[in-house]
Amino acid sequence: MDVEADVTVIGSGPAGLTAAVHAHESGAKSVLLLEREEELGGILKQCIHNGFGLEQFKKDYTGPEYAERLIEELEKTNVQYFLNTMVVSLSPDKTITAVSPEKGISHIKSRSVVLAMGCRERPRSSINIPGTRPAGIYTAGVAQRFVNIDGYLPGKQVVILGSGDIGLIMARRLTLEGARVKGVYEIMDYPGGLKRNIVQCLNDFDIPLYLSHTVTEIQGKERIEGVVVSKVDQKMNPIGGSEQFVPCDTLLLSVGLIPENELSKEAGVELTPITKGPVTTETMETRVPGIFSCGNVSTVFDLVDYVAETGMIAAGNAARFAAGDWKKGKNPVEIIPGENVRMLFPQQYSFKDDLILFVRSAKPIDKPVNIELSPLGVRLKRLYARPNEMIRFKVSRDKLKDVTGPVEVSITER
Amino acid sequence: MDVEKKHFTCVICPIGCEIDVELQNGNVVSMEGNKCEKGKEFVLQELEEAMRILTTTVPIKGAKWAMLPVRTDKPIPKRLLSKVIEQLADIELQAPVKMYHVIVKDVAGTDANVVATRNMKKVNHPKDAKKDLISRKEG
Repeated sequence: MDVEADVTVIGSGPAGLTAAVHAHESGAKSVLLLEREEELGGILKQCIHNGFGLEQFKKDYTGPEYAERLIEELEKTNVQYFLNTMVVSLSPDKTITAVSPEKGISHIKSRSVVLAMGCRERPRSSINIPGTRPAGIYTAGVAQRFVNIDGYLPGKQVVILGSGDIGLIMARRLTLEGARVKGVYEIMDYPGGLKRNIVQCLNDFDIPLYLSHTVTEIQGKERIEGVVVSKVDQKMNPIGGSEQFVPCDTLLLSVGLIPENELSKEAGVELTPITKGPVTTETMETRVPGIFSCGNVSTVFDLVDYVAETGMIAAGNAARFAAGDWKKGKNPVEIIPGENVRMLFPQQYSFKDDLILFVRSAKPIDKPVNIELSPLGVRLKRLYARPNEMIRFKVSRDKLKDVTGPVEVSITER
Repeated sequence: MDVEKKHFTCVICPIGCEIDVELQNGNVVSMEGNKCEKGKEFVLQELEEAMRILTTTVPIKGAKWAMLPVRTDKPIPKRLLSKVIEQLADIELQAPVKMYHVIVKDVAGTDANVVATRNMKKVNHPKDAKKDLISRKEG
């Protein structure tokens, strides 16, 4: 089957749903949304906890409610969506090849493309835990799917490695379902997840959080029987003599997320090690003209509100691109991380729009900080900067119009 | 009279103030660490009755998935969370269900309702086969 579209959005999680609706609202005549699962919504369907949309809608939605709200908006438009449709290739000229049981192979020619494929969990193999390879080891998101959608409890005695938000959310969820969560072990000396999740998912249920700890061995033949946990030093090396055996029948890994960019790479989209996502400008355009990127495929965000915001920006510009209302303009300048900045997004400024900048600090500073954009000197004052909380701020086009070289972003104590 | 010390992390905003409180006879005699009035209100509410939204799932028949996500439509006392979970244990729903359909009214006497948080359609051939692939581990 051959299809043509103004804007094609790949992925229907929060970024893709928002992008599809907004591409339509921005005047794109034909918008196509491609989803490989049998329903729209992406990961929102299994995130049954609340805390979604606090900034965007000023409502405290659960993941499914948030998805339903976006799906309702989508159903009011003439956006076409294909379910059970897996994109297998994307070329730099924006031809998409997709497969589905109903339609077989489709070739889609699109004037612009919005990448919204989201991210994947880092598995055991990415952190190299020694020991046996028994059953009972899951990433936190897989366990979440088992419990919240399929109705299976993965185990009764649970150890969680890593204090990412999904791990914390699952600590509470498994406790409510009758499992015993023995502890959350975090290799860093500060938690990975949001503070509200530490309080409401761990403290509320007296689940201990062990900072500067990691799992150094997995034991068990058929099923996991326990893990050895060790303290780590400042260089995150296990400290000899600190080993402790913790019996368990389940180990959950919440050790980070990685943007899923297989398709982007195939299309020749340049990626950056800073985010593991595409290099984009403030318009969310990648280095391939007409291919835009948003949400967690760009960089892993903490809040769905930010995911949706980048989806809106990408979609508005993808619609403009499709309509031919897109000038090349001035060459973009680089935005580069300076002192105490671990991650920033986007990485380029192309003088087309205001800049919404997302920054993550390299280390926790629980003192008042300045966020500075050299050479602009644009400053944002904050009471603190923590790696587990992305800082979002806007710099107007006016302030940036005369910039000629790279802009360096730094976070310094006041 | 003994002074009782308690510590709270405020979750009203992302700053997350670490607040230390001293109590005498159950009355607050000092509070430190809150950067605003809302932090004080948060602590007083936590002391009086900690309130939480409960989100969980209930089994559903005739749908594409085995579980339907649900929530309380307002915060309920934290001490009643497990009681509500117990009360939901015997429920099994039948698809279709509309979002915000009330599953249990005034759950555990909290005045809150447990409601569905998504639409779930009826399907003619539920994926029962899937259930046989992984059996629930008892123990």
